[in-house]
Amino acid sequence: MTLEGLLVVAAALFGVGVYGALSQQTFVMIMMGLELMINGAILAAVALWAMSAGGTPKGQLLAVVAMTVMAVEAAVGFALIVGVYRVRKADMTEKLKRLRG
Amino acid sequence: MSRSLLVDLAFYILSAGAVVSAWLVFRTDSMVRAAYWLLVSFVAVGGVLVLLSAEFLGLVLVLMMAGEMTIMAVFMVMFMMNPAGLNPMTMVHQHRAAVGAGLVAFAGLAGVGLVADFPDRAAPSDAPATAELGTELLGDSMLVFETAGVTLLATMIGAIAIASRRGRYGDADAGSLPPELEAPAPKARA
Amino acid sequence: MSGAATWWLAPLALGAALAGGVYLTAVLDRLVARAVAGVPLGVPDALVAPARGAALLLLSPPAATERPDAQSWALAPALLAAVAAAGTAAIPLGPGLAVADVPDGIVLFGAAMALVMVAVFLHGWSANSAMPLLGGYRFVAQALSYEMPLALVLIAVALPAQSLAVGDIVVAQEHIWNVVRQPLGLPIFLVTAAGLGFWGPLALPDAADVAGGTSVEAAGSALLAWRAARAAVLVAAAAMAAAAFLGGWLGPVLPGPVWMVAKTAAVLVAISAAGHLLARVRLERFVVVAWTVLIPLALVDVFASGILAL
Repeated sequence: MTLEGLLVVAAALFGVGVYGALSQQTFVMIMMGLELMINGAILAAVALWAMSAGGTPKGQLLAVVAMTVMAVEAAVGFALIVGVYRVRKADMTEKLKRLRG
Repeated sequence: MSRSLLVDLAFYILSAGAVVSAWLVFRTDSMVRAAYWLLVSFVAVGGVLVLLSAEFLGLVLVLMMAGEMTIMAVFMVMFMMNPAGLNPMTMVHQHRAAVGAGLVAFAGLAGVGLVADFPDRAAPSDAPATAELGTELLGDSMLVFETAGVTLLATMIGAIAIASRRGRYGDADAGSLPPELEAPAPKARA
Repeated sequence: MSGAATWWLAPLALGAALAGGVYLTAVLDRLVARAVAGVPLGVPDALVAPARGAALLLLSPPAATERPDAQSWALAPALLAAVAAAGTAAIPLGPGLAVADVPDGIVLFGAAMALVMVAVFLHGWSANSAMPLLGGYRFVAQALSYEMPLALVLIAVALPAQSLAVGDIVVAQEHIWNVVRQPLGLPIFLVTAAGLGFWGPLALPDAADVAGGTSVEAAGSALLAWRAARAAVLVAAAAMAAAAFLGGWLGPVLPGPVWMVAKTAAVLVAISAAGHLLARVRLERFVVVAWTVLIPLALVDVFASGILAL
């Protein structure tokens, strides 16, 4: 287990997440792509904390902040999905040409 | 077998599992499976975090994601008009561009990871990581911690406000548009 | 951590402990049912009855539904059992006698119990049948409601011990048990434990009013595995209640592990009795009670424990 290996795995997770967020049409699937990106970010943060930053607690703090971002993303994402569905009956990006109102 | 060899083996298995299950999220036809493949990916990353002796973060990641992925699965089934979520579905757009973007992101980040010269200062293996994190959260970085907490509270309130059925101008599913925001009627050409 | 030569003993011991606990649960539940009904206990019969029932289920044929997600369906009971085992691993039977005596034992237990929701929903969904899916949905609502009080009362017991390790939490109860020090903790934990093992009044996902819920379509060995896994979750929760609130292995005269098993059995009897004495609650009522009563009470518990621990 080396730092390089960990960072490559984190990059792979981020890359798959980018692919998912850009290619999927369903809102929920797009959110999954976003979560995968944050997953990679958490892994990279903790890897650098453990292997390169000498175990300073600030590294773990960064991972906690990333988890907070993930929770916020999920909550706001689900709320927007519900809100959009109530008004437009849309569950896919293509059904949402107009963002106003 | 020595301990470091076991750790290496576990790392290879877990990281391969994380990446492969992440890929399967977008390859499976079933929505519930997609959500749970993502959970598998998170659990594998949580395992890697435990290997890195950040046990608390790894376990909390699993704790958070178990609930969130189930909610995702329920949402998928609810919104996709596909009662049990067992019918095939492949819904992608701009597929080639997305694959390209993913590959570029991977290559760029992995390149940084491989080329950049990070300082080689490993964390002491016997450090009480959880206790240090707790002291940090309620000590030097309390402002960060509190900001995260307030952000989450604001998110909860905002999410409820957005998702609420009752709006200021009537029920959301009945329009809930303020009078002046109605879509303008098409003007007749002069 | 045991030596390198005996590392395989730990999972074996864990499996044996859980299997014993599951069997004990089945026996106790039968005895409690008879005691509540006022019929003779018939201890010898109760001791063999679970084995008879298990053999009957093993011999009966499996059932099939139309186009199930077969892999997930087979996975669900195994996942539930594995999750129960992971949660139990953090709980010590005696001083230092835990399979995984990790410094974050409470968090390990919480993470494992959060995965119970995944296993139950997967079991309900993968059969591709209406009633199991309803049961799965029910459990999602139920689990989201009991999870917060569960986490909060466990945080409260960690406060006086100043540690997340279950062993330290037991040691911190040397002078006064947490059930006395934090009177709100154990009742709230027992409610959430019944929800966790979907047992008794909270057996909603597998209830009779949805024709058996997530396990309607299961039969034969799959049904046996599901029921055993569910009992294993209940055993894990009862063992945690014994360790976190009833002083774990602490007790006079008898050796520690005996006390631990006795206390776990007592909690199992209490939950089982609740199942036979109380009516099944309605889910919407439980959700309202959980969010408006249990969570505030659990918060009071955390604050009071925090002030006391200062």
